Amino acid sequence: MTISTFMGLETSLRGLEAMQEAIDTTGHNIANANTPGYSRQVVDLTESPALTIPANSNVDGAGVQLGTGVDATTIERIRNTFLDGQYRAQNSAENNAQTQSTILNQIQTGLSEPSSNGLSASLSQFWGAWSDLVNDPTNPGARQTVINDGQTLAQTFNTIDQQLTTIQTQVGQQYSQLLGPSGQVQSDANQIANLNQAISSAQAAGQNPNDLLDQRDQLIDDLSSLANVSVSTQTNGMVNIVFGDQNPATPLVQGTTVNMPQPQDLTSAAGGQIGALLGLYDQATGTGSIQTSYRDSLDKVATEVMNNVNSAYNPTNDPTVPSFFIDDPTSTPAASIAVNPLVTSANLRTSTTANPGATDIATAIANLAGGQADQDYGTFVAQVGSDAQSAQNNQQTAQSLLNAIQNQRESVSGVSLDEEMTNLISYQRAYQASSRMMTTIDSMLDTLINHTGTVGL
Amino acid sequence: MERITTLMTSQATVYDLGQALDRLNTTQAQLSSGKRITQPSDDPYGTMLAMQLNGQLSSLTSYNSNVNDGTAFTQATDSSLMDMNNVVQRVRELVVQAANGTNNQSNLDADAQEVDQLTEAIKQSANATYDGQYIFSGTANVMPYQSATGDVYQGNSGAGAAITRQIGPGATNSVQINTDISQLLGSGQTSPGVGDGKLLDVLRQVSADMTSGNSNALGTDLNNLDSNISVLQGLQSTVGATEDRLQLASSRIQDLQLSTTQNLSNDQDVDMGQAAINFSTEEAAYTAALQASAKIVQSSLLNFLQ
Repeated sequence: MTISTFMGLETSLRGLEAMQEAIDTTGHNIANANTPGYSRQVVDLTESPALTIPANSNVDGAGVQLGTGVDATTIERIRNTFLDGQYRAQNSAENNAQTQSTILNQIQTGLSEPSSNGLSASLSQFWGAWSDLVNDPTNPGARQTVINDGQTLAQTFNTIDQQLTTIQTQVGQQYSQLLGPSGQVQSDANQIANLNQAISSAQAAGQNPNDLLDQRDQLIDDLSSLANVSVSTQTNGMVNIVFGDQNPATPLVQGTTVNMPQPQDLTSAAGGQIGALLGLYDQATGTGSIQTSYRDSLDKVATEVMNNVNSAYNPTNDPTVPSFFIDDPTSTPAASIAVNPLVTSANLRTSTTANPGATDIATAIANLAGGQADQDYGTFVAQVGSDAQSAQNNQQTAQSLLNAIQNQRESVSGVSLDEEMTNLISYQRAYQASSRMMTTIDSMLDTLINHTGTVGL
Repeated sequence: MERITTLMTSQATVYDLGQALDRLNTTQAQLSSGKRITQPSDDPYGTMLAMQLNGQLSSLTSYNSNVNDGTAFTQATDSSLMDMNNVVQRVRELVVQAANGTNNQSNLDADAQEVDQLTEAIKQSANATYDGQYIFSGTANVMPYQSATGDVYQGNSGAGAAITRQIGPGATNSVQINTDISQLLGSGQTSPGVGDGKLLDVLRQVSADMTSGNSNALGTDLNNLDSNISVLQGLQSTVGATEDRLQLASSRIQDLQLSTTQNLSNDQDVDMGQAAINFSTEEAAYTAALQASAKIVQSSLLNFLQ
């Protein structure tokens, strides 16, 4: 058996084609250097099957395997799925802490402590007004100041409670938006289900749908910011995704089906933004730390102020005396505390006796300064502060871990322009060399065909 | 060796520059506000402490104004009692002269008239006011001796009549600043010769005894007058002691205000020197980071390919 005359041309052609594919892939990498979620691709080059030349059919008689050039077998994306899992876990943690930190910051900003216009200042001012009244119990100005400072104090309670209610409503709205019919969860899940379909068809046809896989991974990354995700890959190339703490039997994405979580399926243990939102306020159950840690504490302080002042104002429980502070029993104390409109500068009590100079009541109320209400309010502010502080710290820790993992992921999957340029040069050179090879064979054939058998002509 | 890619470098650069700028921003906010704590999360315990100290400062301000008010009240009391003392001493001189029996009746009549005037002067002193309040009427806040009701004391006495000022926390820091003048002046005579033996009664008796020229009775009156003078001096020394107590409280409160303000400043104010050093260190680091990133991110293999 002899070697085909044109085999060298075929070998060169293979080289040209493989290098062209490699150069095109390099171009694809460079073009996507800044595309989020893109994994660099490499062309797998292997030797094409050798041509076996049996013994004695060759010039020296020994059998050989003659190389036939290169095959570009597949185009692979370079990606470490283990890092993907770590990235998503950390992304959930970071977004969870970030969301908490943002909302707690809003809450503590609303308290404006420590400053001269927060609730603690209003309390001090109110106690101070009673103390001034002791010094001059019949002075109409001092009497009116007590009522005005009482109103300011009550309004400060109302305002803070109002702010907390507004933040609760916002938290509820954010949650509904994320999980609503046009929300991010629904949209991501639908796209993943569609991609599952496309990927499974492509893989069934023996293709490597790198770019579709990248898109799907990017969408899963996106979902992981909303809640913990647990991804399981099926043999047909599809993925199932369990979202947050929903029942694993009905995952959010199951092949090409989407099962949106019902309100009761997710709790604060869902992780990510959604877990943080539910931890702060869960619309479905009306619970959450804004309610149980903050509004209830504020109500406690408001109740203490109201009860302590009222019982000092009317120590004998005289039913004909209007209470100083009142609230609306159908609402919460902090939201509805107010100075009784029946209390006026003229009928404000400074004493249980009718003596105009007696100040036993005013003294008793002035002595409430620095008491239980002030202390409990201090504890409440410290609670908000340390919650916000730990959310900030958690966020920073999660952020740096996330950065580290993202770096590792980039290190594996990211496009290095230096590397691509180097590859480009070597592929280009190889392409040039293959062309030269083709020219060489062409000139060999020219000699053989056009110049053989012309001896003496 | 770890593979380094373009995006890694730029992401790390952005993150690190952001962190550096954040630190710079925090220090700058501390420098410009002068506060180490601008919100509770900066230092939750420090915030609670700052709120407590602010509350204490506000209470101390109240105590201070109570002390000032109480001092003015007791000073007004003191000067009224001083006036009464001067008047009573003058009466005593007249009584001593009259008891000698050397004065003739017309002199005694003139003395009796003077004693009557002096009695009115004492009642006037007892009607003194401070800031619109009658200082000697207990908590009733009425004119204690009115012409319509003669010598009868119009104010109140006893437990409900005490005017107190809070000069510190707790019941032990409650100071009574008013004086029950009825224990000195009493309610005069219900009818001639029938009275409570207090100052006004004695003065009326002195005047009557002078008019009747009864020098023996005047001797008894002198004894009665002396015992009332010692009651008056007792009141004066009580008022003086109250003034001293308020004075001491005032300087104690000022010391406390100073130390509480210092504590508050230590708690919430920024250490300017330290912050300024931090600021320049962070600024230098940030500038260096900016320069380095501008150089590193710029170049790649592309710069050197032909």
